[in-house]
Amino acid sequence: MLTQILINGILKGGLYALMAMGMSLIWGVMNIINIAHGSFIMLGAYTTYWFFTLYGMDPFVSVLLSMALIFFLGFFIQKYIINFVIGASLFITLLLAFGIEILINNLALLFWTADVRSVQVTYGGANIEILGAVIPTVRLFAFLLAIAVSVILFIIMNKTWLGRAIRSTAQDLEAARLNGVNVGKIYSITFGIGTAVAAAAGTLWAVIFPISPTMGGHLTLKSFVVTIIGGLGTMMGPLVGGLSLGIVESLGTNWFGSTFENLISFTILVLVLIFKPNGILGKKE
Amino acid sequence: MFYRKLFLMLASFLLVFAFSFTAYAENVIKLGSAISFTGAKSRTGKLYVDSYKFAVNKVNEMGGVNVNGKNYKFELVFYDDKSEPTESARLVEKLITVDKVDFLLGPYSSGITIPNSIVARRYRIPMIEGGGASSKIFDKGNKYIFGTLPRAGDYFRSTLEFLTKQNPTPKKIAILYADDKFDVSVGEGAKAAAEEMGFDVVVYEKYSEGASDFTSAITKAKDAGAEATLVAGHTEEAINFVQQSKELDYSPNLLGLTVGPSEADFRKALGKDANYIYGVASWSTEMNFEGYLFEDTQTFVKKFTDKFGYDPDYHNAAGIAAIAVYKDAIERAGSLDPQKIRDAIAETSGLKTIYGPVDFMDNGQIIGSSVVLQILDGKVRQVYPASGYDAVYPMPEWDNR
Repeated sequence: MLTQILINGILKGGLYALMAMGMSLIWGVMNIINIAHGSFIMLGAYTTYWFFTLYGMDPFVSVLLSMALIFFLGFFIQKYIINFVIGASLFITLLLAFGIEILINNLALLFWTADVRSVQVTYGGANIEILGAVIPTVRLFAFLLAIAVSVILFIIMNKTWLGRAIRSTAQDLEAARLNGVNVGKIYSITFGIGTAVAAAAGTLWAVIFPISPTMGGHLTLKSFVVTIIGGLGTMMGPLVGGLSLGIVESLGTNWFGSTFENLISFTILVLVLIFKPNGILGKKE
Repeated sequence: MFYRKLFLMLASFLLVFAFSFTAYAENVIKLGSAISFTGAKSRTGKLYVDSYKFAVNKVNEMGGVNVNGKNYKFELVFYDDKSEPTESARLVEKLITVDKVDFLLGPYSSGITIPNSIVARRYRIPMIEGGGASSKIFDKGNKYIFGTLPRAGDYFRSTLEFLTKQNPTPKKIAILYADDKFDVSVGEGAKAAAEEMGFDVVVYEKYSEGASDFTSAITKAKDAGAEATLVAGHTEEAINFVQQSKELDYSPNLLGLTVGPSEADFRKALGKDANYIYGVASWSTEMNFEGYLFEDTQTFVKKFTDKFGYDPDYHNAAGIAAIAVYKDAIERAGSLDPQKIRDAIAETSGLKTIYGPVDFMDNGQIIGSSVVLQILDGKVRQVYPASGYDAVYPMPEWDNR
């Protein structure tokens, strides 16, 4: 039974990691706590749902389209809305993101209604049995995709000009500007990448769980916790944070009961803040 | 510019007159409700709105409500509570003080009904609700609240009874419930009933409302060898639970859910995996009761489906019953005085409705029971007490559905 609980936790952790990756990126680079993050996950889930329902596209194929679509949405939201207040205090951007969240959620409610929907892929309930433990196939796929996206993001951030520009902007705004980085554009691209990764998480969410327009709030919270636990400013942070949270939650709910899931997440959050204020992998300021 | 202003002024005058004209043209009884048109509860909230409208239309077609020889028409006043309890309570207050409604109809969900019922008591206006069954609504000594859903604690009683009649009788039962007011009542009631009937409750666990991950709980139930699993939660959680049971290859002899099976969303989202899942309801379309608004249950079901394009479920029927009780109580009281109406509602006795005969307990909740449903071939059927459809027990393995 313990193996099963651990497997459940690791698979869930992979999804948490992917969910938090976008939030961590945006937060790290622009110091924006994107409260609307969960709404972008929701949009990713819905685009997947529609590609699947209307065109019969497999979620693991349409994920690229969803990411592209949501990338542009994020890009333009940053370019035409958030960039205007980017220099202001954290509180202003927080408020703005909150507004964007309300707007997106209510538009979704208006157009798609509050109906609960789900993506019914043929391999939905399939599983593999290894040593008495059951591994759900979709969750395994989702986990692998989460790892793949993390690796790709890692390569982009470390090996490309774009990645270096983003990192330099995060480290020293003035210096980046002096070296010919178009900061406004980098911000828009970063926000776009962040939301695109959120969309990928949404796709996986839609494959595993039922979706509804109001699903985002809860996910923003989880992403937030994972980001803090993992630590800002490193690409491995969300992965470590997500996996730790997934495993601890799984073990915790098994020992103490399901009603304490949130209690467990937030206890870890508090413990991390006390003992490692910059997160498990966070760098000292 | 001047003409436009003049025109606007005249138009607004006309509008005011038009309104006051309709208001005084005939006698109306205003029924108000702050209910969820948007937000998380809006899907089920809509069922009540449809039902209230449908029943009110029918009453008005029949000539309205006869109060001491004078005919009154019912008029509905709705506000959208956005699925928020505090907002809902505020709007109920507005209904009473600003819109001057005569009587109140309930919102959807126990969590919202509780604050609303407190406002109703404060202003001493009766409220009949069909959307909240938690004992927390009825154990506060509130004399102004009446509910048409049976006791939450009894929801799974019929399912457990059904289980005792199976051969071999299962021994081990898992009970899982959400931590909101209604489901806590359901879970506690189910545990008490199960133990009373001699079952061994091997997993008894509460989860946070809105939880999406049940893998730990399912793993536990599977490990403990629970032969029947009862889950009291909401549509989304119900879908999650079924999906994850399949993912983890957990196939109990009986999987019983409260909210979910009778809803179209649930069946659509799960496809053939929804087959054989058990549900409970205070009412089903297979029943047949004589009603005084609509001839009988079957006629009602047909008319309702023709008009709204979906099959009514127990929420709908409970909403219809609320309006039926008002008409009957007001006519018996021969008055519009809230206090007299309250007393008349309390005295309702064996009122014939398509929902079944209505009588209230002293605390205001209906005397009723629940039936066991099962999804057979994508349709929700009543399987216990027998109604002509045979239950499939034990449920087949996932691969054979």
